[in-house]
Amino acid sequence: MSLFQTKNLSIGYRDKTGNKVLQKELNLTIQAGDIVSLMGQNGVGKTTFIKTISGLLEPLGGDIFYSNKPLSQLTPQSLSKQLSLVLTEKPFSFNISVLELVALGRHPYSNWIGLLTAKDKEVIEWAITETNTNYLAEKKLYQLSDGQLQKVMIARALAQETDLIFLDEPAAHLDLHNKIEVMMLLRKIAKQGKSILISTHDMQISTQLSDTLWLFNFNESAKIGTPEDLILDGSLEQTLYLKDYGYDMIHGVVNIKQKGKEVTVIGPEKEKFWTEQALKRNGFQIVDNGELKIEIKNGHWFFESQEFNSIAKLLANLLDK
Amino acid sequence: MIQQQFDSSKKRWRTILGIAIALTLFTFLVNVSLGSIHIPMMTIAKHFLGLSIDNESWSLILSNFRLPKAITAILVGSALGISGLQMQTLFRNALAGPYILGISSGAGLGVALAIFLGFYVGGFLELSGIGRSWLLVSAAGAGSFLILIVISLAAIRLKDSVTLLIIGLMFGAASGAIVSILQFFSQAENIKAYVIWSFGSLGSLSWNELSVFIPMILVGLAGSLLLSKHLNALLLGENYASSIGLNLKRTRILIILNTSILAGTVTAFCGPIAFFGVALPHIARMLFNTSNHLLLSPLVIFMGAFLMLVFDTIAQLPGLDATLPINAVTALFGAPFVIFILLKKKNLNYSYQS
Repeated sequence: MSLFQTKNLSIGYRDKTGNKVLQKELNLTIQAGDIVSLMGQNGVGKTTFIKTISGLLEPLGGDIFYSNKPLSQLTPQSLSKQLSLVLTEKPFSFNISVLELVALGRHPYSNWIGLLTAKDKEVIEWAITETNTNYLAEKKLYQLSDGQLQKVMIARALAQETDLIFLDEPAAHLDLHNKIEVMMLLRKIAKQGKSILISTHDMQISTQLSDTLWLFNFNESAKIGTPEDLILDGSLEQTLYLKDYGYDMIHGVVNIKQKGKEVTVIGPEKEKFWTEQALKRNGFQIVDNGELKIEIKNGHWFFESQEFNSIAKLLANLLDK
Repeated sequence: MIQQQFDSSKKRWRTILGIAIALTLFTFLVNVSLGSIHIPMMTIAKHFLGLSIDNESWSLILSNFRLPKAITAILVGSALGISGLQMQTLFRNALAGPYILGISSGAGLGVALAIFLGFYVGGFLELSGIGRSWLLVSAAGAGSFLILIVISLAAIRLKDSVTLLIIGLMFGAASGAIVSILQFFSQAENIKAYVIWSFGSLGSLSWNELSVFIPMILVGLAGSLLLSKHLNALLLGENYASSIGLNLKRTRILIILNTSILAGTVTAFCGPIAFFGVALPHIARMLFNTSNHLLLSPLVIFMGAFLMLVFDTIAQLPGLDATLPINAVTALFGAPFVIFILLKKKNLNYSYQS
């Protein structure tokens, strides 16, 4: 049984002149334990999709199912026990503590006055511990950094105890360290049997973290597959319009075409990689048998029998010519 | 560890709430004791304990004037405070208050029609005593109720709250305009009667009127405590609120109904007491530095009661015969207080991020 399914769903906006369709004929499924990444360019309808399938926007057509029940037949409360959201928007009041925020995740379960039972407190403690945010519990939201806020918003979603979690660009505005922490956290959550849908622009999240990739394109149907298949058949490049820039899918870097002198670099892998990066940035072409030859030994760079102890000095010499 | 943090915050809250209740009780005694005639506290305590007091007129003043007025002050303060808090959270707007939806304008229109048109029909000024006050109450109540119906219909149709806010403001402006036109064609005594109503008054309620007023406000206050959980969900913004299971439309209508019962009843019986409902939630939020309604709502109720008693004590000018209009006193003494806390605490914007 699929936790989540769409049938011929079309999404977009209604206005006076008619419907503005962003995506149509979407037939997508999420199984238990899946991590799915949704990619596509700005404006292709990723956020609209997430808002539509979570009931915040009306679909233009088609059906949405949660555990084989149509979304239109679910009350907000019963939906909130199956699906939790982490959106790009921030809470409107920052004058509550992290503990109070996470406790709001128990809203679907708590009684009419909102008092927390022992079970609720256990779940809150678990959510805070899972996200390693114990040290933040007593802080107010206005005292948190962006990365910390993102983690406690995920903790709040966890406290909702849903099988599905949808995240809209969870890594946007985060530095590398926080991004990796969030990624690890999501992987840990998925291992516990929760299914996760992430809308993202981040290559690492989409290729290293997710089991399935959904690609949204303009004027074309969505593509579905494992990240590796979609990379090998060129779909990902096409979706992200990276072809013109020569995107290096293996290293995850953009290759800007150069017309400078041909250089060959020999040496240990790591030093070689970064030396080539610096050369490319300065307009050199990296080839197998170039007219210029650079050798790296014991952390030193050798070029035309001269020795340099940093890439900066090597570059200065090369550019002088 | 989490349990400890829950316990410690609960303990801190209980202490603060205890202080608020104690302050309210103390100010209640002071309020009843002071006025044009000073009645010693010991006598008052005796009176409340059911013991007879030697002084017949003191006993009469206490049970017929001071006690009804103090009870009115307590209920008005808590009703305006809590409905202001609800409106500020619902509309995510620091300037919202109990009258933001046009409740007081509706009441004002009703009263203006009763006074100015009543002049042509039978003469409002000829009415006296109970008849006159019930006429005012029903006119103001009818006006607020009309506005409530229109706003509720709009709330059922509309998706976002801000549009509702603007509709409320427009109703306020329109009914203000009608009142101006009525005033323009009226005679001086009628205009004076209307202006005095618009000053607001806590002292005009007899036990007869209180028998309606008290239950209405108590129902509203109980409702506002029950809505606290949903108001907390709204702190996340409307999208998150519905994602944690809040039925937005129903909640919005319940909040509007609740505020209308409270603000409408207060306006009908005591006139439009402005400022208080906007300022009090800020004072409470800044002093206790939280937006959590489960903690804030009871605190706002008791702080409202306490502060309104203080303002009423000031308004009755202890030792003098005159009484200042309560509307003027709340703003005159409340505004500097709010500014003082704003400058000292500097934490207002934490509650209103986006």
